[in-house]
Amino acid sequence: MTFTLQLIFAGVCVGATYALIAIGLTLTFWSTRTMNFGQGSLLMVAAVAATTLMSAKLSAYAAVPIALLLSTVLMILVERIAIRPLARLGGSMGWVVATLGFGLLLQGIVARFFGSQAIMFPSLVFGPLDFVTIAGIRVSSQYLTVLACCIGLMCVMEIFIRRTRWGRAVRAVAHDAEAAAVAGVPVKRVVVASFAASGALAGLAGILVSQITGTVEPQFGFNLVILGFVAAVFGGMGSIAGALIGGIALGVAEKLAGGFVSTAFGDAMAFAILMAVLAIRPQGLFGRREILKV
Amino acid sequence: MNPAREALARVADARVALVLVVVLGVAAEFASASSIQLWSFVLVNMLAAQSINILTGIAGQISLGHAGFMSIGAYGSALAMIKLGLPLPLSVPLSTACSAIVGWALSFAVGRVREFYLAMMTLGFGMILYELVREWSSLTGGVAGLSAIPSAALASLSAFGVKLTPARYFQLMLAVCALVIWLLRNFIKSPYGRAFFAIQTSEVAAGSMGIPRAATKRLAYTLSAALMGLAGAFYAHLVGYLGPESFDLNRSVEALVMAIIGGLGTLVGPLLGSLLFTYLPERLQLFAEYQFIVYGALLLLSFILLPRGLAGLFLPRPRYYAATQVTGGAKSEPAAPSSDSEKLLQIDGVSIAFLGLKALDGVSMDVKAGHLLGLIGPNGSGKSTLVNLICGLYRPTGGRILFDGSRVDGLADHRVARLGVIRTFQDPRLIRAFTVRENVLLGAHRLYSSNPASFAFRWRGAMAQEGRFLGEADRVIAQVGLAHVADTPVHELTYGDQRMTELARAVLARPRLVLLDEPAAGLSEAETQRLEAVLKSLKDSGATVVLIDHHMEFLRGLVDEVVVLDSGKAIYRGPMAAMYQDEKVVEAYLGSSVEEAEPAKRSIDA
Repeated sequence: MTFTLQLIFAGVCVGATYALIAIGLTLTFWSTRTMNFGQGSLLMVAAVAATTLMSAKLSAYAAVPIALLLSTVLMILVERIAIRPLARLGGSMGWVVATLGFGLLLQGIVARFFGSQAIMFPSLVFGPLDFVTIAGIRVSSQYLTVLACCIGLMCVMEIFIRRTRWGRAVRAVAHDAEAAAVAGVPVKRVVVASFAASGALAGLAGILVSQITGTVEPQFGFNLVILGFVAAVFGGMGSIAGALIGGIALGVAEKLAGGFVSTAFGDAMAFAILMAVLAIRPQGLFGRREILKV
Repeated sequence: MNPAREALARVADARVALVLVVVLGVAAEFASASSIQLWSFVLVNMLAAQSINILTGIAGQISLGHAGFMSIGAYGSALAMIKLGLPLPLSVPLSTACSAIVGWALSFAVGRVREFYLAMMTLGFGMILYELVREWSSLTGGVAGLSAIPSAALASLSAFGVKLTPARYFQLMLAVCALVIWLLRNFIKSPYGRAFFAIQTSEVAAGSMGIPRAATKRLAYTLSAALMGLAGAFYAHLVGYLGPESFDLNRSVEALVMAIIGGLGTLVGPLLGSLLFTYLPERLQLFAEYQFIVYGALLLLSFILLPRGLAGLFLPRPRYYAATQVTGGAKSEPAAPSSDSEKLLQIDGVSIAFLGLKALDGVSMDVKAGHLLGLIGPNGSGKSTLVNLICGLYRPTGGRILFDGSRVDGLADHRVARLGVIRTFQDPRLIRAFTVRENVLLGAHRLYSSNPASFAFRWRGAMAQEGRFLGEADRVIAQVGLAHVADTPVHELTYGDQRMTELARAVLARPRLVLLDEPAAGLSEAETQRLEAVLKSLKDSGATVVLIDHHMEFLRGLVDEVVVLDSGKAIYRGPMAAMYQDEKVVEAYLGSSVEEAEPAKRSIDA
């Protein structure tokens, strides 16, 4: 029983990070109907940058913001060179391939110059062995911190989207970019801002996840983004709450399958869930079917 | 044309290619072991790149998990030999078939999504197979890999009682690859190959010509998976060892890079790509070191810098039907006979709503066989929606649609088209890179009865059919006045000529009912006259026509009667002349009361 509860708790925490990644993907989907297939490399770059800076004896208070700035800038670059010129051509093949290429490029560069071995990620707040006991089960302090960060970030995002002018602008562009432009919304700036925010969220997710995994490597992040995509699709590519529920459900399912069958089975199952959800309900559990326009 | 282009264009010629294959096969007798190894890898990579080409370049479906199919082919053939003791001539076809079956099964799931959802889903497929291979250690050897596979490298491979040295194995692969390319070439030129291009361009337009999108995608996935499986099987017996890392994402990316840089949509492109990316890492140490950085950069930039790949840079786009190739007489066949039933199309209280907004509200009308009916109404009155409903693009929320006495509402669009209900679109939906003739031929899709295999093997029945439609297409093209541009890609044509191309496509389909959505819009005076002539001859051949148009003078000379739609309701039906006296019609057009009806006549006439 305790074992199961521990698995569920771990699943909730891991799932929250999936949800965070999902929101990063959703943001750009809202503004441009595109997403970065190389997003995983941004998670990795931020985590590697933070690690490298901290091992150079830089304080975490400086290292983390620099790492986040890096992933933000990279994501703005993605929009500029891999998405904007290609989305214009119509169809999604161009930008899917180009963003994937960008991700592989980053991955290749990190592997070449920082080595392809996994490196230890320093603990930011708590050590890997710290724990608190809640209702009789041991709960890792690191996991708790990650969970709290994710949920906090999502609340901020939700309030931002619902309550602020910029949030309304994002929603307007998501609904109909042309109409928004006519109504005076600076669509281009909203698009760039959504990519910047998406990059920052990816960097944050990378650093948070590496708190849980303890190590980072060039491939780190790739699978995570697929899992984040599953969470996003669960949520119908639109709602933050939907992504959170989707992410947590996925995380729990993965940890339970991993704990009772095998870790690899957990991974394969997550991909199988992805295919099943897309095949059965492509509009997501909380989304609405888009109308075919002829 | 520069010399490089000319030389390459010659290589693309079948006879030259055959000579090259023979020369290569003979040369293998004298080449060094390392050269043969490299040539063998070119063949494996070429098959993988062709696999991507068929699916992505021709049918327009993205796949980021193709390594999965390769692993099925590789492990399948290796295990069939090791565990089942099957000989090579059985194990390779068997594993290729396995991969094809998985591709076919996968197409049911992935056929439900499009665009980047598809990319994600195929990425997931690749990951699942990768995990499967890695974790199913009892079968695949897991991370430790599967070694001691009978292979040319270990001198442990034989087929038909002959020991296969690396050179013999290369010759065998070369022969198989040459055969495969020949079959692919025939297939791509066939109506089924054209259907692949059609669903890439527009699934809606493809459906309107009777091309079943799901079945076409299934065929594309099955073919593509078979090719990738074959590449995997050849790979297994080339190297003699398999590990899961050979089939990770990087392998999928590699095949993608070769196909894209080589040139999607052509058969030569993937060959160029595989040559380049097999030789470069081998010859350039620097390249090998930065391989994945380079792949990433190439994927990032290729669509901007080289949108049609190397083949596009060096080769003119392959044309399937130059006029000289036309075989078979232009035997004209009578159009499908009209049925006896007086009412060919019956629309019975049809309604449809979008997000609560009623676009059509209980519309009833019928069209008599052999009649030409004008469908008119202000913008937004529901004319195009009605056409979309008849063609099966939308499902009505209420009411029934009967064609020739049987219900067609709820049928898929390609099924409605197969019954002989053919439409054109407000904006012409053509394959821009195709010539007029190639586009027009697409119209005949519903009339072909030979299966894909008979086209791939160029069996006589299929070829005769193709010749017949080629002749007929030329006749129709001449009729609409496009004979002088028959071999010009449609994106180079004027708007009017594009519309006429679409009309010709509809005529070639020998329609029983044609729905034309504003065919005269944007046409010049001369073109409008040609359009009138084509419509009259369509009618003479027994076809029934529904014509949407705003151009009253144009309609007056053609229609038997008109139906007027307003705000989703049919408000008038009858002869055109009496329409001007109808209160409701006048009100719909002018939004005024009856007292002001007099100026309305002029405004409709305008």
